[in-house]
Amino acid sequence: MTARKPPSPMQKKAPAATRIAPGAYPGFSRADATRLSLALRDPETTSKAARIIAGKAVELRDVVLAHVDRLAAATRGSDLDAVFEHAHEIRGLAGNAGLVATGRIANGLCKYLDAIGRADRSPELSLVVLHLEAIARAAHAEDEATRLGDTVANELAALVEKKLAEINFSATRK
Amino acid sequence: MSGAAFDHLKALIVEDNEHMRALLRSLLMALGMKNVFEAENGAEAFAVLREKTPDLVLTDLTMKPVDGIDFTREVRLSRESPNPYVPIIMVTGHTERHRVDTARDAGVTEFLAKPITAQNLFLRIAEIVERPRSYVRCEGYFGPDRRRRAEESHTGPWRRHDDGFEVEII
Repeated sequence: MTARKPPSPMQKKAPAATRIAPGAYPGFSRADATRLSLALRDPETTSKAARIIAGKAVELRDVVLAHVDRLAAATRGSDLDAVFEHAHEIRGLAGNAGLVATGRIANGLCKYLDAIGRADRSPELSLVVLHLEAIARAAHAEDEATRLGDTVANELAALVEKKLAEINFSATRK
Repeated sequence: MSGAAFDHLKALIVEDNEHMRALLRSLLMALGMKNVFEAENGAEAFAVLREKTPDLVLTDLTMKPVDGIDFTREVRLSRESPNPYVPIIMVTGHTERHRVDTARDAGVTEFLAKPITAQNLFLRIAEIVERPRSYVRCEGYFGPDRRRRAEESHTGPWRRHDDGFEVEII
């Protein structure tokens, strides 16, 4: 083990920090921790929880579809805050609705809008519309987990990465 | 087995989406938790926290009028906070690096990206139970130690006062 070097005298000292070790603050007792740990690793409990998540998929799919409609309306009205809000809801819910590709596409749109907003630039509307159309198709597809859905998600992800690289490049040139 | 282990614990779910709230509640109840409280945003959550004093908090990030970041800061720093040490798991679809960093700097204990899986949620809770972290109080921050592990290869800079081996451990 390497010994840690003390700070050099040239180094500016940070304000004092106090460290409060486990056991010195309210927390789980050792006996509780052991029992909780066993319960958390119980395969029967994990299977039960996984079944609960799977059982919510149909309900969540309806919620995602409602957000897709609102996303379309927000895009038509060029309301970018609402576009981000609904795309964000879709990316958060789609995976648990069994709409993995839909969630990935929505995540790409969120990443793009987030980066654009931070760079204080206007988004390319065509890119937003492209994502909206892909999200709507993937979410409505009978079998969303098709190669087509994955391919579209991959291609749009590559496009977003390229746009993010352009945004970063122009930010470094400023 | 899980029922007996978790039945005396209390949890608070802070989430503006009712479907996600219901999902998280079901998962905690599958663990055997009987006291699961809910709030739709950070402001409401702080009131519930004071009244119910939960042992664990799961919070979303984006909520109005008070989001998960400000709620976490309130829990950690406010004099009104009943338990600044309560473990907070942030459950969110936000995966951008700067948001994760902001959540960490607000004092979030664990970060769980959506979509939720039972395994990932239980792993985060296990991390809190099995490897509780030290808390650090310094200028502008109070919360779990943000240094997850000692990097043997790190040769500095050492920015903390206690890096000079003057660690005040309570």
